[in-house]
Amino acid sequence: MFRARPVAVAAALASLALAATACGTGGGQQEDGGPWKPDRPIELIAPAATGGGWDTLARTSGRVLEEGGLVDEPVQVVNKPGGGGSIGWAYVAQTPDTPTRLFVTSPPISLVPLMGGSTYDHEDFTPIARLATEYMVYLVPKDSPIESWGDMVDRLEEDPRQVSIAGGSSPGSMDHVALAGAVEAAGIDPTAINYVPFDGGGEAMTQAVGGHVDAVVTGASEAAGLVESGDLRPLAVSGAERASTLPDTPTLQEEGVDFTYDIWRGVMGPPDMTDEQVAYYEDLFTDMTEEESWKKQTKALGWTDSYMGSEEFGGFLDQSSTDSAEILMKIGLIEDEEGR
Amino acid sequence: MKPFTFSNRVLGAAVGVLAVVYLYLAFTLEEFTAVSVPVQPATLPKWLGAVLLVLAAVLFFQKQEDTGEQAGSDGDGDEASKTGGGAPARPAAARPALGRLADPRHELALFAASIGLYIALLEPLGFLISTTAYIAATTWYLGYRRHWANALVAVGVSAVLYFAMSDFLRVALPTGPLPF
Amino acid sequence: METLQQMGAGFGVAFTPENLLFVFIGVLAGTVIGILPGLGPMSAIALMIPIAFGMDPTTAIIMLAGVYYGAIFGGSTSSILLNAPGVAGTVATSFDGYPMARKGAAGKALAIAAIASFTGGTIGVVLLMLIAPALSSFAVSFGPADYFALMVLGLTAVVTLGGRNITKGLIAAVVGVMVSLVGIDSQTATLRFTFGMPELYEGVKFLIVALGLFALAEVFSMLARRGAGGADGAMTSLRLNRRDLGRIAGPTGRGSILGFFTGVLPGAGATVASFLSYSMEKRIAKDGDTFGSGNPKGVAAPEAGNNAAAVGSFVPMLTLGVPGSGTTAILLGALLVLGVTPGPMMLSDRPEMFWGLVASMYVGNIVLLVLNLPLIPLFAKVLKTPRAVLIPLVVVFCVVGVYGLSFSVFDLWLLLGFGVVGYLMRQNGFPAAPMILGLILGSMMERSMRQALQISYGDWTTFVTSPYSAALLGLTAIVLVWPLVKRLRSGPKAPAAGASPDGAQKEEDTASTP
Repeated sequence: MFRARPVAVAAALASLALAATACGTGGGQQEDGGPWKPDRPIELIAPAATGGGWDTLARTSGRVLEEGGLVDEPVQVVNKPGGGGSIGWAYVAQTPDTPTRLFVTSPPISLVPLMGGSTYDHEDFTPIARLATEYMVYLVPKDSPIESWGDMVDRLEEDPRQVSIAGGSSPGSMDHVALAGAVEAAGIDPTAINYVPFDGGGEAMTQAVGGHVDAVVTGASEAAGLVESGDLRPLAVSGAERASTLPDTPTLQEEGVDFTYDIWRGVMGPPDMTDEQVAYYEDLFTDMTEEESWKKQTKALGWTDSYMGSEEFGGFLDQSSTDSAEILMKIGLIEDEEGR
Repeated sequence: MKPFTFSNRVLGAAVGVLAVVYLYLAFTLEEFTAVSVPVQPATLPKWLGAVLLVLAAVLFFQKQEDTGEQAGSDGDGDEASKTGGGAPARPAAARPALGRLADPRHELALFAASIGLYIALLEPLGFLISTTAYIAATTWYLGYRRHWANALVAVGVSAVLYFAMSDFLRVALPTGPLPF
Repeated sequence: METLQQMGAGFGVAFTPENLLFVFIGVLAGTVIGILPGLGPMSAIALMIPIAFGMDPTTAIIMLAGVYYGAIFGGSTSSILLNAPGVAGTVATSFDGYPMARKGAAGKALAIAAIASFTGGTIGVVLLMLIAPALSSFAVSFGPADYFALMVLGLTAVVTLGGRNITKGLIAAVVGVMVSLVGIDSQTATLRFTFGMPELYEGVKFLIVALGLFALAEVFSMLARRGAGGADGAMTSLRLNRRDLGRIAGPTGRGSILGFFTGVLPGAGATVASFLSYSMEKRIAKDGDTFGSGNPKGVAAPEAGNNAAAVGSFVPMLTLGVPGSGTTAILLGALLVLGVTPGPMMLSDRPEMFWGLVASMYVGNIVLLVLNLPLIPLFAKVLKTPRAVLIPLVVVFCVVGVYGLSFSVFDLWLLLGFGVVGYLMRQNGFPAAPMILGLILGSMMERSMRQALQISYGDWTTFVTSPYSAALLGLTAIVLVWPLVKRLRSGPKAPAAGASPDGAQKEEDTASTP
């Protein structure tokens, strides 16, 4: 079976084995003229370990696709953790001729390459669909003297040292970019803010509840529980509209700041996919987002439906990548739009 | 008697080299200037390298302790032979000896190489084939004579592990050329 | 009184046949998955989620919690029998558990682990029931400076774990901290010591090092001794007499309480808890120097600690909706998918779930004990397997564990590398335990130190102005100076390998690392 696919032999050892596996269940493309259909199990790569955000997205999608009877072939979730995603991306990029190998993705696909963590970026893959999105929320402890987003901006203007702001990930990642972009749009030098990175949004919020930091930025759904209990007070969300989980919290735009930040989630495929293949998957994921069980589960996770087809998604990716590069440049984390 | 045991001089020198290389790498780490941080990413590594260098020097000049004194807190190689449940000392063929080479150093190198081979073949051949082959070959080489039992264990253990992981837990182990 | 009433209702929930069945299934699955090296509670829960999906949320959380403490329990079995810690939290168990097994007391070691786990779990549940709401304020009261002080205190255990030659122990610890710093620096996103390999960006996984240094290195020395010196001699009974129980009562009790409070702190978790209780017991035990060569107290303390910590880590999740560990993060994710938002409102909104869970933990702990005590003689038989068969099986176990964790052949090479290093270390008297300790605590210590200084804008007084931090650092100083004082009082006795000069140096090292 190796003989049939010389390409695989040339590929990295890792991809070799799985390419050979795939061969075990049949060839790549359909020979007859009909619309393209996968003829072997669809591999949905989560470029992270079991249990993380990408893994949840991949396993949820896989389950909905299979249980809804939307696919004839099984959907296998394969974890390729490491390098903040770059291991999984390299794995997919190295098998351009395997149209049944997709991966789930979100903003790090632009941020990690910009920060120098991956040689592949979103342009090396075929966008398939954006599925859902979530917003960032900026919060303060319940007894904080900071009254509102505007109040926090005033304090930052006066002396950025006054306000330490926790986030769940390192500088140059989603939390930091969402914060820096917002304060920059509010007219404050983003390099001066005191951003304190913690290990995950949960830890960051705990530190805020305990009053060890003055504010925290994290995903809106993650914060919903502590907002409901009153331990944390939300100042603003980063979406274009208010978040369904935090209906009383104004958006940044309502607060007079022209900035939005999406934690979008989507699916991408290997480079060099044909139009028929893309069309097949677009239909498939459209159907998936219309399934009742998908709606129920994404709602529970606090995600908003925000479907985009391949082309629109591609344009969105280009735009959000440029935006992120600009913010990272202003913070001084990268030197030019090519990243560091 | 004890393969791969070295004097404090050699060990001190080896740790010293490690410390120097590490320090060199630590000093090549870039300063982080984009956002002001009170502690640089290179700060702790530099201190660690320096401490390790000092410790290496201390070890280098330390007088050799008795080998018998080396029982570490987690079970040292030789101590065990003393606690070997009343069995006569090693040379007698009281129990089937493992392996075939006279020099234990060669034996260990060969064993490490066999694990290396197993790792290298894991993905190309798939978990089932490589694991079955590895268990069977190693068990045979180490001197187990009941070949049927060996074959049964090799096939059984790999199959149980494989199907438990891939079917029940849905953890994808490499399949290799086999169709499942 | 109210608590009792609610607890009664909770038992009502836990004792429905369905929930009893799923506690049983969860505990069983957890134990089995935990025995496999590498697959810890985190993977175990992630892998059981599809099964939990579609269940009643209360039943699901009861089952998944069972998977969690079942896995931690199962991990101790492979630690004791094969020196192959199945779960990070049970590494410390192997320090004395494996030597006991080699002396022919495998059954006893397993029984002690089972009883200590049961006790730790039960004490944890009692504390959870009585003071969970109050504890949430304790969990949030720990800031970065306090975590730093806790890690420094933990690192002083190097001196006690260091074996006879303190220089070698310290070298191992420093190298452990060095390994922990590999990867993307979380505070600045700088790559450190990755040699351009993306596989190293997320750092070196703790379990790979532990399996290499303990399990593979042990296999190497087994081979070098030509299979001599195993535990295939006389096997003592697993029955514990009153004297045994008396000996482990103290360590178990103290380990449970220390473990529970460590578990409550988000980020600290079962691994740190087990190390803290192990080194604390080693320090205060009269027979402290026999720790590491098969002292039952050295099995009881970490086992009570890690199980109590597993229960404790539910506190931040249930009361704050914030995961206290990687494992509870996954559990939290699973609950969200099931339509439950754990958090401050859970106790008032869904009391039946909260109390049902607590009650099911009592039941689960009993199930664990009942399930595992009869299996101990069976497990202990593993050691009767001929060495020629056992050796390749241990290798395969390690390979499966590491591959199932990361799906990466690169990590398997790392495993082999650490196996070779581990063998060379033990041949030359370098203890592995301090290296593991440095690896666990090193990067956490660095991170909290930098977070604290980031918040205070580089002001070092932040470490003494926080009461917890000041107290913990004071305790650290006492712990380091005490042996010196003791030695001065008892007169010069111990030769050469003195703990004092190096100990003092270590103190300087950790305290003044700017």
